[in-house]
Amino acid sequence: MSGNPAVIALLDLAQLDTEAGHREAAGASLERGLRIEPRNAWLWHELAQLRLAQGQYAQAISLAQKSISLAGRERRLLALDWRVIGNARVAQGSSSEAEQAFKLATEFEQ
Amino acid sequence: MQLRFLLFWNKLLSWNKFHFSPNFKAYGKAVRVIALLLLLGLSSYIFYLDVTIREAFDGRKFALPARVYGRALEVYPGLKLTPAQFVEELQALSYHERPEPSEAATYKYTLNGIEFTSRDFVFGDGPQVAQHLRIEFADGKVSRLQQRGSTDLDLPLLRMEPPVIGGIYPGHNEDRALLKLEQVPKPLIDALISVEDRKFFSHWGIDPRGIARALYKTVSGQRIEGGSTLTQQLVKNFFLTSERSLSRKANEVLMALLLEMHYSKDEILETYLNEIFLGQDGSRAIHGFGLASYFYFDRPLDRLELHEIATLVGMVKGPGVYDPRKKPEQALKRRNIVLQEMVGLKVITQAQFAAARQKPLGVVHRAPTGTSPYPAFLQLVHRQLQRDYREEDLRSEGLRIFTTLDPRTQHHAEQALTQRLAEIEKARKIPANTLEGAVVISSTQQGEILALVGGREARYAGYNRAVDAQRPIGSLAKPVVYLTALENPNRYTLLTPLDDSPLVWSQHGTSDWRPQNYDHQFHGNVQLRTALAHSYNVSTARLGIELGMNRILDKLPKFGIERRPPPFASSLLGAYELSPIEVEQLYQTFADGGFRTPLRAIREILTAEGKPLQRFPLNVEQVAAPAPVYLLTAALQGVVREGTAQSLTNWLPAELNVAGKTGTTDDLRDSWFAGYTGDRVAVVWVGRDDNKSSGLTGASGAMTVWGEMMKNIQPEPLQPAMPEEIEMVNVDPVSGLRYDEGCKAGMLLPFIKGSAPAAVMSPCGASSMDTSGARAETKPEGKKDAEKKNWFQRLFN
Repeated sequence: MSGNPAVIALLDLAQLDTEAGHREAAGASLERGLRIEPRNAWLWHELAQLRLAQGQYAQAISLAQKSISLAGRERRLLALDWRVIGNARVAQGSSSEAEQAFKLATEFEQ
Repeated sequence: MQLRFLLFWNKLLSWNKFHFSPNFKAYGKAVRVIALLLLLGLSSYIFYLDVTIREAFDGRKFALPARVYGRALEVYPGLKLTPAQFVEELQALSYHERPEPSEAATYKYTLNGIEFTSRDFVFGDGPQVAQHLRIEFADGKVSRLQQRGSTDLDLPLLRMEPPVIGGIYPGHNEDRALLKLEQVPKPLIDALISVEDRKFFSHWGIDPRGIARALYKTVSGQRIEGGSTLTQQLVKNFFLTSERSLSRKANEVLMALLLEMHYSKDEILETYLNEIFLGQDGSRAIHGFGLASYFYFDRPLDRLELHEIATLVGMVKGPGVYDPRKKPEQALKRRNIVLQEMVGLKVITQAQFAAARQKPLGVVHRAPTGTSPYPAFLQLVHRQLQRDYREEDLRSEGLRIFTTLDPRTQHHAEQALTQRLAEIEKARKIPANTLEGAVVISSTQQGEILALVGGREARYAGYNRAVDAQRPIGSLAKPVVYLTALENPNRYTLLTPLDDSPLVWSQHGTSDWRPQNYDHQFHGNVQLRTALAHSYNVSTARLGIELGMNRILDKLPKFGIERRPPPFASSLLGAYELSPIEVEQLYQTFADGGFRTPLRAIREILTAEGKPLQRFPLNVEQVAAPAPVYLLTAALQGVVREGTAQSLTNWLPAELNVAGKTGTTDDLRDSWFAGYTGDRVAVVWVGRDDNKSSGLTGASGAMTVWGEMMKNIQPEPLQPAMPEEIEMVNVDPVSGLRYDEGCKAGMLLPFIKGSAPAAVMSPCGASSMDTSGARAETKPEGKKDAEKKNWFQRLFN
């Protein structure tokens, strides 16, 4: 996810905070990571996941789109991003858009 | 207090008991009633004083200014950082060089790095304890980061404490830099006790002999003066009046006694040190030793030398009379008296005394004005806070505000602006100090404002041009027109010819509009990328009108520009006013591939106790499709590579691939440059406050400031992520025809898939690569014209 031990350390920290239910702190750690590696698509994805878990669906979608824009050909990540978008769309009640997102996710999982 | 009253009352009763006699029964009763009434009156008066003084004291004690921090530097192996830059950071955090850096906030140089000990600090995500650390450098980067111990431990990352960059202070324009007692150097307390109140630690708040003397003088008709303990002085300072009367003195004595009953000596001393009035700076009153230290010596208190401490303590007696700037002789005399008293009490040695006495006053010539070295940024922070918080709370609740300011970036921005404006004035024989400017720099992906300069004199609070100057943006508005075009790949690519022949536009409600180019020429057919690179007005206006004015202006709110420009065609060319920070927001979206991130100056706010109060998280919103923005960025890179911003290469290497746009307004009133690299977006405005002509174009003014500061900031090169819809195609930049893929001649340009010219030109390299597309099109002629028609027809027929 990153070759930079500093970023890995922050991802670990965010993970611990998330598990302990400290989502705000987890978000702050991910943002710290993004300051070091602003183009790391995995970090954007993690932030999208976090916002999804916090119920901030519009942000989850935007952040996943941001991750997609930086993901290049990393199909595994693209699939995960589209899953976030799909889940956020479901929560927003737009089922057709959700379906489309899940379809894309499945394609990238192939 | 109540206990003492009870004892007194009991005494009175017992006296009555023993001296009771029937003859005096009635008389005794009257005495008792009168005594009771008197006592009641006195005790309720004392009660009143007690409440008053406690309110005042607690109010002051807890009137903590909001403390504003800059960004915390994140240090990790691989980070671009030199030892000198790191030490600069340590010094900004008031670290001291020591032979053995084992205490918090100390450091020493080692062979290839620095050893230091950090401080305890409470961040939004919890406390971080002090650590013994080692940092090493190689090739301009951090090569190793270690925790020192019996066995050293490699660390992946260290977050330094953030530097304090200012405060939002309690009312009445009282400014102070609040100190904790343990932060106050011992010599200062010694000096204060020596000259102002030798029995401070043993008395009850008053000095009976002093009071007796004062009473005697009053009774004998002399002035009422002296006899004030530190406690009394503090009381006096709470209720600043210059009235000298016996009743006031009595109140002061009572209140001093009451204060001493409720609070410890340390609390009283700490409040005194923060409260005492030590000078006046215009309308701003300088309170407390913490701020006075900066005001007179431009250094924190713990870095003052003995003679400087003595100067400050000497001023307690009369900040006006002993002002070291205005009355240096009196101040020097007074300082030496303080030193004399100290040596008399043996709190300093004879040698220290002799050395300190020899020193000059050492006061800084010009006081640093305002409450922050970054008044423009602080004002922005304050305004943002005012939206969510009551002014009162900001000034008294001790909020801790974590901001995005990067002091190093700020320094480069300030320095570039000051230096370039002076150079430009000199070179162009413009009267000195008539040009003004403003700078905003933010991080591309986070939208964090790293630097904000509101004018040439960045240290002095005043007109904040970065936020408040509304200026016509001129050609900075053009990218919105071109983005709208490029969103239509079936009609527009970077190579699409635009018509730059004379244009007359009639619109209801305004006179006919005849846009002109800056060179007063018309350029016939020009490629879209060239029209933007050279900032041609006529072709851009025609393009905008074709696309639909409303369609373009309706886009602005999406990019964070809330106010709608007037609905005239001239708005297409930027005949509307924006502030530099609004322009920054606009270009942030271009820089970030169509994602808008609202600019932020604040990351989070904690309470005085370190509890998170509010966070301003990173928010993004996709407001433009990535592919057209990618094309726009390519075109804006063309502006720097071969267009109006070509001379930026005098400052920055071509490999940075900067994308940017110059802006020049009518009569050369405003000179703008907005641009971005891989990690920074920045806007510079240069002009005059009186709105007269600055004599500068975007390229000759603002762009040079931009180049100078980016040269020092050393940003990352711009390599935008290529969207999936984009393909790179090898084309002949002159004819716009496609080359064979294997062909080495030609130029790689991005296209949205399916929009690139279809025909393959052969043979490879037939066209002249040595002629830049731009120049060729400026003078279209002969064969090239014919070619143009060919691909023109092929593309559009």
